[in-house]
Amino acid sequence: MKSYFIRHAQVLFYVLGQLARTPVASAMTILVIGITLALPGGLYLVIDNIQRVATGWDGGARVSLFLKHETSPDQSKRLLNKLQRLPEIKAVQLITPAEALAEFKTRSGFGDALDALDRNPLPPVLILTPAPDASDAVSLETLMNHLKAYSEIDLAQLDLEWVKRLNQILLLAQRGVILLAVILSLAVLLTVGNTVRLAILNRRDEIEITKLIGGTDAFIRRPFLYNGMLQGLFGALTAWLLIHGSLLVLQTPVSRLAHLYSSQFGVSGLGLQNSLILLLAGASLGWAGSRLAVGRHLREIEPR
Amino acid sequence: MIEFNNVSKRYPGSLDVLKSVSFVIENNEMVFLTGHSGAGKSTLLKLITLIERPTRGQAMVNKQNLNKLPRRRIPRFRRDIGVVFQDHKLLFDRTVFDNVALPLVVAGYTYQETSRRVRAALDKVGLLKKEKVFPITLSGGEQQRVGIARAVVNKPPLLLADEPTGNLDEALSNEIIDLFSEFNRHGVTVFIATHDIQQLRRLQKRVIQLQAGELVYDSQSQANETPA
Repeated sequence: MKSYFIRHAQVLFYVLGQLARTPVASAMTILVIGITLALPGGLYLVIDNIQRVATGWDGGARVSLFLKHETSPDQSKRLLNKLQRLPEIKAVQLITPAEALAEFKTRSGFGDALDALDRNPLPPVLILTPAPDASDAVSLETLMNHLKAYSEIDLAQLDLEWVKRLNQILLLAQRGVILLAVILSLAVLLTVGNTVRLAILNRRDEIEITKLIGGTDAFIRRPFLYNGMLQGLFGALTAWLLIHGSLLVLQTPVSRLAHLYSSQFGVSGLGLQNSLILLLAGASLGWAGSRLAVGRHLREIEPR
Repeated sequence: MIEFNNVSKRYPGSLDVLKSVSFVIENNEMVFLTGHSGAGKSTLLKLITLIERPTRGQAMVNKQNLNKLPRRRIPRFRRDIGVVFQDHKLLFDRTVFDNVALPLVVAGYTYQETSRRVRAALDKVGLLKKEKVFPITLSGGEQQRVGIARAVVNKPPLLLADEPTGNLDEALSNEIIDLFSEFNRHGVTVFIATHDIQQLRRLQKRVIQLQAGELVYDSQSQANETPA
């Protein structure tokens, strides 16, 4: 068992030496793999970050209830108390027509024009903040239906439609990234497969002689499998560096933009788990690509 | 060690390259296989090393039935046969030491055991001082001796050679063949394909002759014909 590990370690260092002896060719292949893997990895990260922003908006869902014009201040108060007792609702705030008009005057710049109106055109408004555990789309839908039953309410508006749409678009984009990842994985598989195929053809004599003196298929295969696996691993490492390098470049403008929206949002990287997944995926793809090439070409080389 | 019983070999789309060949080589024998080019010498050696399989007939080598040995057991089978090639088949991107070590690396020996055996084998062929050299810098005779060191480093009970003196002058040929007979004295069965009549006369060992795929002479069975 110990000699088994020693043999594998020997092959590992032998292959590392091989890669180091042809630095330009190795670097090219590794860079190609790196770029190929960085594409889906980077897109994943972009979508992941957008999703985290959107989740923040989702949590701050508000429902605006526009009451009928003829609703008296007393009726408004009573409705407010009724709604406050519902478990789905965390807080209710009443904006009277007078308050709304005052705010509108200061904010819109139509102050003088509004003075010309003979009566306040704005209805009383109740702003609902749903309880955190009732903030998901289904619960909000139920709440909205429930609110329709109140005669005082003219219009209940949930300003979440576009967040929902954004979420759907993100889900779609996520699918797209998965699809892209599958296709580009295939590209990595073929890239590694091709370099390993060339390596096999280059070492034809060596393989032939090794077979003649009793080398098993597993023995002959091993350096090629390690070669493919290392190329995939180093390619994934390159992809990681590319992704985080781009992130570094984007970080400052993103946080400035976030600051303008008075948000604490900062770009997040792949994290430990996703980084490990990326490296593992690269190594496995390299191994698989090399396994395909080896399976196809090693049998063809027999001593003559 | 080797037992052929009416063995024939036919390649697709050709006549029989070997026709019903039968012979027995006992343990510790040293035998020359001779015949013109194209008589089937190389094919016979390829059958023994399982590069080719017999088309008809029974062949046993080292107690293994060549007709039935499954493909996955060929590597282990070949480890018990040392082969010396006319063109040496050395790896030119590796040192003499690494070339000779290859059969031991393949068989999974430890580094200590490997270097001990490689040095012993190189010492036997008189190339101990050249272990760190690349084979391209060696003469033809030296390259052949590296090939021999690689063939015997594993201490195989059977040593095959295909025209080992093909490209060498007489003095070097004598040296190489004497090396083989020394291994034979140490208990290795040696089977050499050659058309070097000089060596056959000089050593007075058993000779088997092939002609157009047929075994036409075996000095042990005292046939009438003499080697051509």
